[in-house]
Amino acid sequence: MAQQFAKTVNVLKFDENEAYDHDRPISSLVRTQLLHLHQAEHIRVPEKERTNININDLQTERQASEYIAKVTRLLHKHGKAAKKLKPRKSAKKKAAARGSGKTKQSKSAPKKRTSRK
Amino acid sequence: MSKGLDNLKHIVVLMMENRSFDHMLGGLKQGFPKINGLTGNESNPDSAGNVVKVSPTADYRGQLSHDPDHHFPGVDVQIYGGAAFAPGRVANMQGFVKSYGTQGANVQDSHAIMEYFTPDKIPVLTTLATEYAVFNGWFASIPGPTICNRAFAHYGTSFGNVDMNMFLVPDAVRQKIPTIYERLEAGGHSAKLYYYDQPSSTMEIVNLIKDQSMFGVFSDFMADCKSGKLPQYSFVEPNYTDHPGPGGGQLLANDQHPDHHVLAGDNFIASVYNAIRINPDLWQSTVLLIVYDEHGGLYDHVVPPACPKDGFKAAEAATGVPGLTFEFDRLGIRVPAILVSPYIARGTVIPGTENPAKQRIFEHACIPATVSRHFLNGTDAGTPREQQALTFLDESIVGNNLRPDDDCVFFNM
Repeated sequence: MAQQFAKTVNVLKFDENEAYDHDRPISSLVRTQLLHLHQAEHIRVPEKERTNININDLQTERQASEYIAKVTRLLHKHGKAAKKLKPRKSAKKKAAARGSGKTKQSKSAPKKRTSRK
Repeated sequence: MSKGLDNLKHIVVLMMENRSFDHMLGGLKQGFPKINGLTGNESNPDSAGNVVKVSPTADYRGQLSHDPDHHFPGVDVQIYGGAAFAPGRVANMQGFVKSYGTQGANVQDSHAIMEYFTPDKIPVLTTLATEYAVFNGWFASIPGPTICNRAFAHYGTSFGNVDMNMFLVPDAVRQKIPTIYERLEAGGHSAKLYYYDQPSSTMEIVNLIKDQSMFGVFSDFMADCKSGKLPQYSFVEPNYTDHPGPGGGQLLANDQHPDHHVLAGDNFIASVYNAIRINPDLWQSTVLLIVYDEHGGLYDHVVPPACPKDGFKAAEAATGVPGLTFEFDRLGIRVPAILVSPYIARGTVIPGTENPAKQRIFEHACIPATVSRHFLNGTDAGTPREQQALTFLDESIVGNNLRPDDDCVFFNM
């Protein structure tokens, strides 16, 4: 193994229990992250699945991280990659649907999908 | 092309938070004179007119009563000593104590902004800086806060933002400038942004709503290093909050943003390095760049140089500095940046503004510029800033000689 031969340097240990403080007030950076995630939630997550959490009530790192985790999970669930996995209608079925006039836009579908390229 | 560059299959960037070059690495100058750190005589005036010298007394946490100002108007004070905007005013790096003093810190507490770490207190960062390559002249892209600076690493621009409002960039504007991840994917290459975990998530939320396939978490990064499945380009984000772990334990923020524990970040850097170092194939085919997004309001003695404009202009209302519109023609304050590879000679120091004849100025737009030039062979032009940006991969840095395995450090965690 590489580390058996390499010269080694010890990292410094410290009292993690003493350092840990999930009640620390959030920084302006995390406050911004909350704002952006809140906007993202309203753009991407269907209304019935939104957290309905008032981000102004979130003051500590623990509170913020709980909200951040929930919205991140929701964004992954409702993101573009998740949509890619949905089975697509076959060309035959699409043609049949066009012929019978059954093609409809889903009410919950975004009007315009953005292209990545 | 050197053997080191010819072998290069992976670029990994780890971007930490809010610490200046002098605060973290300034203490190295004493033992390594080529590193443009501190002599010990650098100073700033405080609000009472006292001269406050730099001091090797920085502590891991608890020393800064307020998060030091690093927004555009505050950084303007730090760079210009508080002089009001006027044509021809001179940057002198004399406003750090003054700026911090306006944040509610008393006169004595405002001196904390001049404190720096001795190398022994952050052994991982200082060991890597002296064992591999350190940049004397890597600056934040903008004299401003996190989000706009991180945007330069992802897009090569901040779309005219000097603040935290990247999310508000209209889609029509943003779609004209894809991320480096999208550009690589379009060119048939692999790229991933690894955030720490879901409770920490990413600062690149714009892309979180666009394409989740480009994201992974830190445990994925560790697994990908072990299995040799690391993508060609990886960007790693640290943990931004103290929060409970999945099994009920506690996870410390390791981003080094004040007032998070600096050693948690130092040890995190070691874990990223070790994950690459321990896999022999990966180690020989990877460069790791460790860089900080901006200075976090902490003192640095080097005046940020002018730079090419990037085609946007921030209005006076956006800069918050009376009379000042900003054309993105000056870089932000200097940050630590270290490049690691077994093809880099020990003690490499890439000169900055202290050596005008040989200076090489870097900023975060150099990241997409370098990645694109290496993997896409310069086939996509990038933003105006990128087009002017230097690459951190050239033969003078990543050379022909593979250092013996026992010559390359490993960290005992």
